[in-house]
Amino acid sequence: MEMPAREGVNKMIPQKGMIKVSDSFERIVHWCLAISCLVLIITGLGMMFRSFNFIGIPFGGMTNLKLVHNFVGLFFIPALFFAILVWWREAGKFKFPDDLEWIKVAGGYLWHVDEVPKTGKYNPGQKAFFWAVAFFGTIMVITGLIMWFPLDLPREFVRWMYPLHALGFLVIFAFFFVHLYLGTIGVPGSAQAMFTGYVTRSWAEKQCPLWLEEMEKSGKLEIYGQNTIHVQH
Amino acid sequence: MSEKVKLFDLSKCIGCRSCQLACKQWNQLPASQTVNWGTYQNPPDLQYNTWLLMRFQEISDGNGGVKWIFRKDACMHCTDAACVKVCPTGALFHTKYGTVSLDVSKCIGCKECVIACPFDVPRYNAEVNKIAKCDMCFSRIDATLEPACVKACPTDALIFGDKKEIVEYAHARAEELGGDASVYGDQFVGGTHLMFVLPDKVPVYEKLPENPRVPVSVIAWKDWLKPLSLIAAGGVLAGSFLHYIIHGPKDTSGNGDAGKGGGE
Ligand code: SF4
Ligand code: SF4
Repeated sequence: MEMPAREGVNKMIPQKGMIKVSDSFERIVHWCLAISCLVLIITGLGMMFRSFNFIGIPFGGMTNLKLVHNFVGLFFIPALFFAILVWWREAGKFKFPDDLEWIKVAGGYLWHVDEVPKTGKYNPGQKAFFWAVAFFGTIMVITGLIMWFPLDLPREFVRWMYPLHALGFLVIFAFFFVHLYLGTIGVPGSAQAMFTGYVTRSWAEKQCPLWLEEMEKSGKLEIYGQNTIHVQH
Repeated sequence: MSEKVKLFDLSKCIGCRSCQLACKQWNQLPASQTVNWGTYQNPPDLQYNTWLLMRFQEISDGNGGVKWIFRKDACMHCTDAACVKVCPTGALFHTKYGTVSLDVSKCIGCKECVIACPFDVPRYNAEVNKIAKCDMCFSRIDATLEPACVKACPTDALIFGDKKEIVEYAHARAEELGGDASVYGDQFVGGTHLMFVLPDKVPVYEKLPENPRVPVSVIAWKDWLKPLSLIAAGGVLAGSFLHYIIHGPKDTSGNGDAGKGGGE
C-alpha cells in the first residue's frame, strides 16, 4: 500500500518525495561525536561528584572509569576534528543581519512569532551549538590531555586546567541536552536527518527554507525516489 | 575527639634525622639509592617513599659566620585541605583528629591532589599508580600513641598533643626565643596540624610558602563551577520539559494538514 510521504512527520523509513539533508559521512561523524560525548559526560560525572562515584561500579572501579574516560577522550578528538570539518561551512558562519533578526525573536522557539525570519541550512541557534562544541570541545581536549599528564608542566598553569574542564562540561552539557530535546520531541521529524538522512519536505520548508530554495534552484536537491536509481525489489 | 597537632621546634632540632628514619621504618617505605650531592639532605626532595624529609640549609648568621638550619618537610595536615577538596574518590580524608589520611585502595592515581596542594606534598608512584604522603601515623595516633617521628626525636624538637595546648605552647616558645621567632601553621588554610616554631623569618626557609592558601583555581573549580554546572544542567532539563508542556513542540508537518494545531 502506498503512503503519501507528506502525511506524517515521523518517517524513519525514507519515503518518496523526502529530501536528503545529510550524507552518510556526516551521520557517522555525528554519532561518533554524540556517543563519545555521552560516554565522556557519564564517566566524567562519576569523577566530578563524589556522590556519583557509583558510576564507576559497572566499569570495575574508579581507576577503570578514569581509563575509559581518557581513552574515549582520544576517540573524541578525531570525531571533533571531522565534525568541525564537516559543519564548519554551513554552521560555522553567522550571516548578518539575517541571523540577528532570527536571534531577536529567538527563532520563534520561546514565544509566539507570526513570521520567523527564514534561515538557511542551519539557524543561528544551531550555529551557536556548533561554536560551543567546536570551541569548548577543543578546550576539553587540551585541558583533558594536560590533566592526564599533569606533572611536568608549570603547576600554576596546570591548576587552571581543572576549572576550565569543568566550565567546558557546564557549557557542553547544556547545549548537548537542548540539542537532544530539539532534535527529537522538540522539533518532530528532525531525528531522521541523523538516521536515514532524509526529512519530509514540510520539515525542510520550515527548518531550512533558504537552503531548500537554493538547492532547488541549483538543481542539487536530492529527493528520495527521484533523480536517483534505487534498487528496490 | 579532640584535634591533635604535631609541633616541630626548629630551635631544638639537632639534625639527626631520627624522625626521617623512624618514618621510613614505621611505614615500611623502601629505600632509594642516594648520592652525595654536597649536603646531608637526602634524598633531595620528598618522594613517594620519603614522606618526611629533613631539609638542610646553610645561611649567613650576619657576623661572617654560618648558621645551619634543619627544617622538617612533610604534609602539613591542613584544615582547609586543597587535596581533600579535589580528590575525586574520597581517598584523601580528614580523620577525627583533624589530620589528613589516605585510603590507598580508593586512590586512582589522578594526581589532582599533587597539583592542588599548596605545600607540594603528595608524590605520585607510577609503579602502583597511587600517590603517597604522610598520614601522621593514623594507625598509631588512633591507638593513642604518638607518631613514629615524634617518638624517635631525642630532643623534644617534635612534640604531639591536643591542639589547644600545643598552639599555646608554640606561641609561648616563640616569645621565649624572641627576635624573628614566630609560629607557623595556625594562621592559614584553616590551621595546619603540623606546626613549626621558626627562629628566623619565613622567607629564610627553603620551600616554605609565606602565605599558603587553597589555590583560587581549586575554589573556582570546586566551589563555583561544580554547583553552577548542576544548576545549569537542572536548568536545561527543567527548561526543556517546561518548553514542551507550555510552548509545545514545533509543528513541522505540512501546511494545513488535518488534525494539526497551528504551529506556535
Ligand atoms: S599539605 Fe598538601 S597534602 Fe597535606 S593536607 Fe595540606 S593540601 Fe593536603
Ligand atoms: S591521586 Fe589519589 S589521592 Fe590524589 S586526588 Fe587522585 S584519587 Fe585522590
